[in-house]
Amino acid sequence: MRSARRGTVITGLALLGLTGVYIRALVYTPMERLQGLAQKIFYVHAPAAWAALLAFAVTGLFSLLYLITRDRKFDLVASSSAEVGVAFSLVMLTTGPLWGKPVWGTWWTWDARLTSTLFIFLLFVGYLVLRGAFNDFEIRARFSAVLGVMALVLVPFIHVTVYWFRTLHPEPVLLKPDRPSLPGVMLTTLLISIGVFTALYVGFMMQRHALTVLRDIRDEETVDANA
Amino acid sequence: MQTPDNGGYMVAAYIIAAVVVLGYAITLLYRLAKLKNQ
Repeated sequence: MRSARRGTVITGLALLGLTGVYIRALVYTPMERLQGLAQKIFYVHAPAAWAALLAFAVTGLFSLLYLITRDRKFDLVASSSAEVGVAFSLVMLTTGPLWGKPVWGTWWTWDARLTSTLFIFLLFVGYLVLRGAFNDFEIRARFSAVLGVMALVLVPFIHVTVYWFRTLHPEPVLLKPDRPSLPGVMLTTLLISIGVFTALYVGFMMQRHALTVLRDIRDEETVDANA
Repeated sequence: MQTPDNGGYMVAAYIIAAVVVLGYAITLLYRLAKLKNQ
């Protein structure tokens, strides 16, 4: 399929870009004096969080479109994005504690930001498990779309948790009303990394969507053959 | 205040991020190839 090939090319280029981000972050971006080298985890943690929440938002929006239109193609996009989001969440949820331990003195704390982030990750793992539990397309798509829409509400909530609740997690440095609170070199590295993780999301998404469509065609052929 | 020596956490985080991203890219390629060959 053409979209799978394009997705593979975009993923390949984005992986090269990720190598560039690693080099820029580790070699050319200055170390923050108070936090030490652990602060550089920021350049993979925050972009991974961005990509994960983008993926979950896409899942939620396409789930909503499926519930409105009952068009199969929206469900296929939603389910593809959910799996990609789970992969990026894994990066976010493993790099976060590795930054938290040296800076906060603890791997984890059950505050609103961290707990809601873990919750959305588990919700989408449940979403993927749920999809595997039904053979009937309509039931599978409808149930998972409802879950996807409910999870969509969590995405903006996660963003505002650092303002609404007491938390160890720092406030956003980019998505806020004021100017970005980072020195220029660090901000450039962060923006490049966000661009690369977004490209990774697009590449993964195109590949995963092609996989979903191929599976869908195969399942239909199997049903037709058994009929 | 002295800058803390915590480079090990950074190295671990970068390695884990690379393993997860590369691992996922490989599973996508593998699953696509497997499905095309069926």
